[in-house]
Amino acid sequence: MASRPAGGERGRAGASGALLAEARNVSKAFTGVLANDRVDFELRAGEIHALLGENGAGKSTLASILTGLYSADSGEIRVAGQPVSFRSPRDALARGVGIIHQHFHLVDRFTVAENIVLGDTRQGFFMSPAGIRRAVADLGDRYGLEIAPDATVAELSLGERQRVEIVKMLVREVDVLFLDEPTAVLAPGEVEALFATLRRMADDGKAIALVTHKLNEVFSICDRATVMRGGKVVAAAAIKDFTPETIARAMVGRDVDLKPRPSTRPPGAVVLAARGLGMEAGHHCGLHGVDLEIRAGEIVGIAGVAGNGQLQLAEVLAGLQQPDAGKVTVNGTDVTGKGPHAARNAGLAYVPEDRLGTGLASGLSIADNLMLTSDTGFLFDRGGSRKKAAAAIGEYRVKASGPEEVVRRLSGGNVQKILLARELGNKASVFVVASPARGLDVAGIEFVRNLLQDYRDRGAAILLISEDLDEVRLLSDRIVVMHAGHITHQCAAADYDEAAIGLAISGYSGGGRFADTR
Amino acid sequence: MLTLDRRLHTGPFLYVAVPLCSVVLALLVGAVFLAVNGFDPLVIYREMLTASFATRYGIEDTIVSATPILLTGLAAAITFRFKLYNIGAEGQLVVGGICAAAAALFIGDTLSGPPAVLLVLIAGMLGGAAWMVVPALARIRLGTSEIITTLLLNYVAVLFARLLIFGSNTPLRDPTSTNFPQGTRIPSGTFLMEFGTSRIHLGFVIGCAVAVLVFFLLRDTRLGFRARVVGDSPGAARYAGINAPATALALLLISGALAGLAGASEVAGRAHRLDPNGLAVGFGYTGIIVAALALYNPLAVVPVAILLGGLANAGETLQSVSGLSVPSSISVVLQGAILIFLLAAEIFLHYRVRRVHRLPARPAEGSP
Amino acid sequence: MNAMVLTMAAAAAVASGTPLVLAALGGLLGERSGVVNIGIEGMMLIGAVAAFLTAQATESIPLALLAGLLAGAALALVHSFLSVTMRANQIVAGLAIVIFGSGIATFFGKSVEGQAIAVRISPYKVPVLADIPVVGRILFQQDAMVYASWILVVLVALYFRYTRAGLAMRSVGESPATADVMGIRVAAVQYCHTVAGGALIGLAGAYLVLARVPNWSQAGTTSGLGWIAVALVVFSSWQPLRVVAGAYLFGLALRANFTLQAAGIGSVPAEVLSMLPYLLTIAVLILLSFFDRQNRLGAPAALGKPYFRNER
Repeated sequence: MASRPAGGERGRAGASGALLAEARNVSKAFTGVLANDRVDFELRAGEIHALLGENGAGKSTLASILTGLYSADSGEIRVAGQPVSFRSPRDALARGVGIIHQHFHLVDRFTVAENIVLGDTRQGFFMSPAGIRRAVADLGDRYGLEIAPDATVAELSLGERQRVEIVKMLVREVDVLFLDEPTAVLAPGEVEALFATLRRMADDGKAIALVTHKLNEVFSICDRATVMRGGKVVAAAAIKDFTPETIARAMVGRDVDLKPRPSTRPPGAVVLAARGLGMEAGHHCGLHGVDLEIRAGEIVGIAGVAGNGQLQLAEVLAGLQQPDAGKVTVNGTDVTGKGPHAARNAGLAYVPEDRLGTGLASGLSIADNLMLTSDTGFLFDRGGSRKKAAAAIGEYRVKASGPEEVVRRLSGGNVQKILLARELGNKASVFVVASPARGLDVAGIEFVRNLLQDYRDRGAAILLISEDLDEVRLLSDRIVVMHAGHITHQCAAADYDEAAIGLAISGYSGGGRFADTR
Repeated sequence: MLTLDRRLHTGPFLYVAVPLCSVVLALLVGAVFLAVNGFDPLVIYREMLTASFATRYGIEDTIVSATPILLTGLAAAITFRFKLYNIGAEGQLVVGGICAAAAALFIGDTLSGPPAVLLVLIAGMLGGAAWMVVPALARIRLGTSEIITTLLLNYVAVLFARLLIFGSNTPLRDPTSTNFPQGTRIPSGTFLMEFGTSRIHLGFVIGCAVAVLVFFLLRDTRLGFRARVVGDSPGAARYAGINAPATALALLLISGALAGLAGASEVAGRAHRLDPNGLAVGFGYTGIIVAALALYNPLAVVPVAILLGGLANAGETLQSVSGLSVPSSISVVLQGAILIFLLAAEIFLHYRVRRVHRLPARPAEGSP
Repeated sequence: MNAMVLTMAAAAAVASGTPLVLAALGGLLGERSGVVNIGIEGMMLIGAVAAFLTAQATESIPLALLAGLLAGAALALVHSFLSVTMRANQIVAGLAIVIFGSGIATFFGKSVEGQAIAVRISPYKVPVLADIPVVGRILFQQDAMVYASWILVVLVALYFRYTRAGLAMRSVGESPATADVMGIRVAAVQYCHTVAGGALIGLAGAYLVLARVPNWSQAGTTSGLGWIAVALVVFSSWQPLRVVAGAYLFGLALRANFTLQAAGIGSVPAEVLSMLPYLLTIAVLILLSFFDRQNRLGAPAALGKPYFRNER
């Protein structure tokens, strides 16, 4: 194995730690898109470094190059001062550089110990369970990670799985660790625990890089930050030299309008009502006594970490799942448990979070997908579907070669445009929209948000489900918080109370109206 | 090092080139195979070509052979295309033949001409569909793999047919045949019309008509659309409120009916009796190859069936031509080779090969 | 029905079930690494014909077994190439293997049609153990291949559970993306295990002609045994030890007509008795699905899905 750098200086000094990993003048292009344009990046021992940028800025590409997944087209990568050329993630790992991706690389059916040991060539032919257990326990003590070696990964929460990934890297003695959007799947309490662990690792001489687009977390834990935009590095300095506004402007390139655009008219009649919705917990947390009302001309935003019943609620409202208790009324019609057609005919449209797996048939053409939710007769109108598709492509400015293009080939933003074109074009009056701007670049995010607000102003009723609290706050007229299948908080946008909402997201009943919390 | 790049667009040229290349490559490998085993490939291939496509008798034979595999090819195409694997066309054909023969004998002399023939064909279709019912229901209600259930029923169907003719004394068995049992000849009023003095019977025309019907069914009807969605994305089907089990059931039963129709066509058009040894000769499996080579396009099934019909014919002829003594199974070997090469070549429909000198890279899901 | 008949039936079941044990074990080996194998029938046939011809030519049992093993492995190599490298539809690939394999077997079998094989594997009584009443007669008066099959099953089970390579292989079948990131060579693992599995299946075919069905008949040498093995892989939840139990159960069904005749029940038509193994397999599969609706029977999570790096 190649030589490793010795542990660097400790503490938050950052700039004085030894240089553990660097990129010099690195460029990388994918079919026509220049993802990294002469990028310089430095990572020092003992620091937690934020690699910031919007979706599409190039930060994930840079991280992938530094950790061996991609190779740069030009430029140089150095580890501990030595130029390296990684041919695979395994090469990088052998030199002490690892990455934890947003989608964890764990085998669900295996135990924690088996996952940690997988692919480790230092193990003998026969595996030794006792040895693994000891190593895991040692690491757990050292970095404050609670971890049970014999648990099956499938039973673990996302936060616990992330811990397994971290231990996996520590066992392989990484000195440099990249984490790609690590807090996306964590509850507030888990975020603190993660940051504590990362701090201890940095104090131990390791270099941590957080690839993220969440500003508030950057300020709470990072020492330095590098901001990327359009494939280039636009700013790199110690955190104390930045303010949230300067970073945001660097990320987006212009002043971003962060002020909400509230509705100018009072909301109309109730068009979507859910009373006493209940669902037994199973693989999910279930729903417990959920009451919800949405009126014409308002946006109600549901905040909360994913996995707290939002998906079940959305599917019950859209008629995809049947609740065990309660009633759903759309425009006065009872559609409880009657299937998606009933909800749709009553005037409800559903834009699911899982675009390519649920909302669209990714292997079919744009034309076919636009007809997915239409009621066709015995004959399928091919000519009509193509006309519809051409119209949608024009109206929403979708970058596609034509109505027959397969949806899977479209980029993320264009996929969402097709989905929105179909659902918003269906003459519905109630819209259930989940994570509509997730994964889109800045232009796409603005497009979607403006679109939703336009529809709201024209009298539509919108239920917005989003894990991004800032987004909920920006767009909603009323805010609802869900935790473990309960509604833990409700308030008007004007009465936004950060502390109460934070508590409600974590499961404590906060201000506003109460609901059952356990 | 070679790497695969996703194609942005697949030209129509490729849709013809890929199957064509598969056939050519298979013939090349077949030639090597023959040479290694002491046969002269050029002579063999020339014989095969002449036997099937160059003489009038040969062409007639080819079309007669193509008829059942055209229908079983359609049966395979409408299911395989949507990730449902009906491998039971072989058995459904046999059961269709049994039902057709039984219906014909039952009709006897009371009816003749088109109404009689129609009844016989319908009986065949119902028989084929019935043989599909248990595997289809098990698949949609319980998730039991239809691959194994339909396949095993093939063996059961053939044994059943043998039982009827060789193992028992039902009306289907010809009472006058004492030395070697065979099926009772069906009344001539139920024959499928033959064209002039050739042995080409109406079955071929019916098959072509059915191919056109199936093409429009899949492209222009609601069932075809639902099938597309269900085959591509069960999640999207659920979201759209499409009844996926009902769609799958419809496709499977239609497939069984098509295979049953093939059996009826063989009984009413060619053999004019229930002949287990003549029915269970692999039409079902060849049909799968036909479907795959046609890239599951119903219209393309027709020319491909003629090609493979000629191939099967040629194999039979070779065996009887003295001096050559090539086992007829050479055509099965070639069929298998064609399918193997097609499977290998299919990737080029959607991917291009490129040489790189370092680790290849494509944007991960999401964005760079 | 007396004890003697039952004991003999059980012994016959073990003997008849052994080709199934080997074939299903081979299929399972490849499938645990993620490659579906419905081509077992083709690999068995090609192993059978290779063994038969070798036996006629050399009169050597080891050589015949080796020939069968190599033939099965070669066909499995083709299957691996289609499934792993060319990312083809693995179901259709398996069918191609069956069609091609049976074509080859029929082609070469023509020259030995109807002949009896020149050598046969004879039973070997294990000293001491063979004299145990009942159990000894059933288990320890079989031939060497039966004993070998037990050892193979145990070895494979141990391999899966307790070795690092076995863990790596299982990860490929469950989550090839994870295995790839952890440095495991996904394609190599799948090739190795599919080909090794094919060798076992070819061996099963060889054993069939050397011990069970001594005449070469174009129609009836394996008569669908390979397909029952495919079902057996599912039936065993992809676990080696369960394969043995299921195989012997089917072995019993395969010998049904002899058993029934010995017990004095005649006059069931031969064709009906021949249907029994197939009908039994279908019934068992359906029952299994009925009792296991949620779990997908423990199939490896990525079974049948071609792996493309960077395309999740």
